[in-house]
Amino acid sequence: MSDPTDPDRDDAALAAEFALHLLEPGERAAFEERLAVEPHLQALVRQWDADLAGLAAEVPPVAPPRRLKKAIDKRLHGPGIGPDGTPLWMRWRVGIGAALLALLVGLAVLFGDVLAPVPDGPVYRAELAAEDRALVVLASLDAATGVLAVDHVQGAPPPGRVLELWLIAEGAAAPVSLGVFADEGATRLTVPASLRPQFEGGTLAVSDEPPGGSPTGTPTGSVLATGAVTRL
Amino acid sequence: MATRADIEDMLARTALGDRAAFSRLYNATSAKLFGICLRVLNNRAEAEDALQDIYVRIWQKAGRYSAGTYSPMTWLITLARNLAIDKLRARRAPGQDIDEMHDLRDAAPGPEAAAVAKSEMGRIADCLDELEPERAQAIKGAYLDGETYRDLAARHDVPVNTMRTWLRRSLIKLKDCLSR
Repeated sequence: MSDPTDPDRDDAALAAEFALHLLEPGERAAFEERLAVEPHLQALVRQWDADLAGLAAEVPPVAPPRRLKKAIDKRLHGPGIGPDGTPLWMRWRVGIGAALLALLVGLAVLFGDVLAPVPDGPVYRAELAAEDRALVVLASLDAATGVLAVDHVQGAPPPGRVLELWLIAEGAAAPVSLGVFADEGATRLTVPASLRPQFEGGTLAVSDEPPGGSPTGTPTGSVLATGAVTRL
Repeated sequence: MATRADIEDMLARTALGDRAAFSRLYNATSAKLFGICLRVLNNRAEAEDALQDIYVRIWQKAGRYSAGTYSPMTWLITLARNLAIDKLRARRAPGQDIDEMHDLRDAAPGPEAAAVAKSEMGRIADCLDELEPERAQAIKGAYLDGETYRDLAARHDVPVNTMRTWLRRSLIKLKDCLSR
């Protein structure tokens, strides 16, 4: 539109329109599809986000009301749970709640999945294991919601490092980060809609990275475990 | 004031489920992000809702922040601004009179505040100065007020396509300046 002979400048303008949320829904969806597979577009959007964020400097900070933080903690961790953990007596209530929930889920299974949400997309699963099984991680993605459940079954990152999960799409040149996950137990990550289809036929990998994850956007540490993605 | 490294550390710990780190992150950054919500949404109750959603998302997505691709404040500001814009778009009924939305936002900062803001804005402040003032204003309007091409066209009294053509030209000029 601006200069049809120069696709690079066109992409730069398109990336800015995307970052500013100026694209119409159809154009936005088309751009997101390209964004998922074109690293130069990802770099353009990142650069625009960084440059445009400078505009927020003229916005004065305003302290939010105190009750907001309480409301956020309640949404994240349930009622009555402080920001730093669960008082012991509370675990009773959580335990009873969990038992009731298990009962409800059981009833739902018995009586035709009425209460259970029905995913309308495929579910992908992968077991990532080191050769000697020193590190074992299970991952499963509900493509309908984008929720990626990561269960760290065995092993730990080297001291001072964190574990980062990567998707290597079929035929892709470079892995894409799916996020950093916890040293033990379960972590829930969210996979953007544009990335979900790439789980089909893909491979997942875990690398050790500095705290906060890879500084470069590609793995910098050693790859500790990998596993092929299967569709359930 | 928390430094970039402090905020990166809080984000990294939040990604691992550390609630105390999340609370520190909230204390260090919520006033800035709430200011952005108020600016974009121009409505206190909606800004409060947006801020809750933002920190819920920060808790869930902190693992997706990877140092080196974004500065931590850029990541937080972008997340907050985008979520507030989504709320603004969801609220706006088609054909709503945009003049109603501008009672608070048009208040310009005083000269001193403007000078401080400019020093924090980085290169984009100088590069916007190279554009015609009304075009620079349109880019700011899109970023900070969530204005659409339709809003901008109405304000400048030009057809939407004309608005888009000249805004895209301005964005390319801005990019040229920012990459120098």
